[in-house]
Amino acid sequence: MTDLRDFPFYRPRLDGRGVPAPWSVEDLEDFAGAHDDPFAGRVRAGAKPRVALQIEATSEPPVWSSLDGRDLDAWAGAVSRLWARFGLGAGDSIAFFDYGSNPCVLLSSSIYVSHLRRGAATRLGASVICNDGVASMTARLLGILEAVHPSALVIRRDLIAPFVDALGTRGLPPGSRLRWAAVSEVEGAPARADAERLQAAIGAPVRRLLRADAAYLVSGDCPSCGLFHLDPAYRAEPLAGGGVALSARFAAECPAIGYRLDGAEIVGRGCAAERRAARLAWS
Amino acid sequence: MELNGRARPAEPFDRLDTLTPAALRRWWTKRLRGVLETAMSELPFYRSRFGAAGFDAKEFRSLDDLRRLPTFRKRDMLGRQAELQSHALGIERRADGRVGDTLTVSSGTSGTTFLTVNPRWRRRQGRSSARAHWWAGFRPGSPFVISAPAWHAYAAIQPYLAEFFDAPCVVVSGTYLPRYADRIVDALRRFRPRYVTMFLPMVFPILAAARRMGLEPRALFDRAEVLLVTGAPITAGMERHLKEMTGVGRIAEVAGATEGVLAVSCTERSGLHVVPDTCYVEALDPQTREPVPAGRRGSMVHCFLIPEGSVYLRYDTEDVITRDDSPCACGLPSPRIKIVGRWEASFRLGGETVVAYDVQLALEEAVPETVGMPFVISREGLNCGKLRLLMPEPEARAAALAERIVAALAERFGAGGEVAWVRELPLQFKGVAPVLSETQVG
Repeated sequence: MTDLRDFPFYRPRLDGRGVPAPWSVEDLEDFAGAHDDPFAGRVRAGAKPRVALQIEATSEPPVWSSLDGRDLDAWAGAVSRLWARFGLGAGDSIAFFDYGSNPCVLLSSSIYVSHLRRGAATRLGASVICNDGVASMTARLLGILEAVHPSALVIRRDLIAPFVDALGTRGLPPGSRLRWAAVSEVEGAPARADAERLQAAIGAPVRRLLRADAAYLVSGDCPSCGLFHLDPAYRAEPLAGGGVALSARFAAECPAIGYRLDGAEIVGRGCAAERRAARLAWS
Repeated sequence: MELNGRARPAEPFDRLDTLTPAALRRWWTKRLRGVLETAMSELPFYRSRFGAAGFDAKEFRSLDDLRRLPTFRKRDMLGRQAELQSHALGIERRADGRVGDTLTVSSGTSGTTFLTVNPRWRRRQGRSSARAHWWAGFRPGSPFVISAPAWHAYAAIQPYLAEFFDAPCVVVSGTYLPRYADRIVDALRRFRPRYVTMFLPMVFPILAAARRMGLEPRALFDRAEVLLVTGAPITAGMERHLKEMTGVGRIAEVAGATEGVLAVSCTERSGLHVVPDTCYVEALDPQTREPVPAGRRGSMVHCFLIPEGSVYLRYDTEDVITRDDSPCACGLPSPRIKIVGRWEASFRLGGETVVAYDVQLALEEAVPETVGMPFVISREGLNCGKLRLLMPEPEARAAALAERIVAALAERFGAGGEVAWVRELPLQFKGVAPVLSETQVG
């Protein structure tokens, strides 16, 4: 059991029951800036990180997470269950049009990051390819669709436009076997309209990803209920003024307890596709 | 250190580093025979290719026997990819059917092919790459900043290297583009690595980002003992320039090809030693396909010696290289190569085939103050038989400098030269002068 009193970021935030006040990315940035601490007080004094991951949503200053092999494997497990729920299986390929530093990419193969034993996609028997996340690589993505025949594509929201434009000019490459795609955002979830635009262009269902790297959250919306299903690796609690306090059960090196996910609301369980899954609505 | 009159490496990575060149050739012969046998028995591309050439891997006796195997190039693989309508070209050896593969890309102007890697490849290639980094001066314990994870071949091995050197693996968000330079600056400031790997085109945007952030560039590298650069051949002048800019004591160069070439400079800095458990490299005359004499330029043809994932055997990368088999004072037994460019980017000038590296070298030798100045070689100029360089205009004495540059170019290449001053050029062009149409420069 992690004692949050060991972590400078949490210590002053704890109430009498040892529960931290909800916090945000800005709180991490403030702490990192004030204490000149890249991990923003979320790592025990003297701890040596095995993997340090710069959180893309932070910038002033950038804040880092620290993970060991167990953290990484557990996080990859959550991503793996998400890919499986979306329909990825043995013999499939998944292509990423995003930076390799997006945890959805980084955790998908044990080749991509140190100390990860089993990648989120490769453990399912699926192959993985990353195209990097710059618009100038759109033509290369078309080459990937043509030669690698991925059944799944994960694309960053701002790359939908160049990709859809390229499809408008050249069409979907012959031999493309895309069965589904998913759109990711640096923090939070993309709008439905973004997913719909891509769906119209590729003629296959497009799912939305909900991402909060500071809390290690990766979640996907459900084709059945349209809500974001939470993996059992996470715990969500409603906040009094709205929003959700999110915790990652697995993160021990650099805990994420009580991350404030504004824009999310908890909806009761009971989706026909996954009855026991906790669910979040995102606006 | 010397043994029987032969220099020995001061700190060998393992026993392989201590072999004599003759013993290394025997080791290579045995290793190649094993890889060729695997290729013949398991990989359809080679089975048919060896059959057509009447080649039996069991009869492979010496490195000279390689000449019996035809070479192939990227365009051959692109053709095969189009024919098969698949990235899988019959050269891929799988480790475990239950675990998915990971693919990396080999991009170029002619098109993209795909390479398969897997956990067994990672272990074997990783150890060999650790040897390369050891030669470059890397030692355990320092944080290892990954250069844009996931999509390129070097990124596929860096996480292993972090594990091997018992180093924190530092993953910077974004990618290796100038607009993310401030994030890399943050990583260098925060983790202060003793050993830094960097693509040459990114070094200068990173230094510029540091200045913008009010940091002295040398402060970024205050603990760094080695700066390992890749992505472009570096000249002696560029090496000195990097030392001066960063304050790092040792600049090492690593070069290779996604298809399985790896070479790294040693302390003697006279070429890059071929990493023997990754590859065997030949320099062949592009026309006759015969080995070129030492010091002459040829095409880089290699055999990848790790029979895992995509296996390239006698693959012509179409890089321009020299190969030097003479003993190196550092004591490492493997030959040294220098990759100076690509044939497709070469041009004819004064009756000679030239690459941008030659122009850079000629300039820095004759006009030392041009070291570190980015420049572009004008395609339109070459079409008119002259070397027209686009360079950012210096603050003072531009006309005099242009005159000296033109004279140096005429002296070295026997062709007309011209300097066109421009307001600025992207910093990525420093040390990696491209041949571009002037319309592309704007």
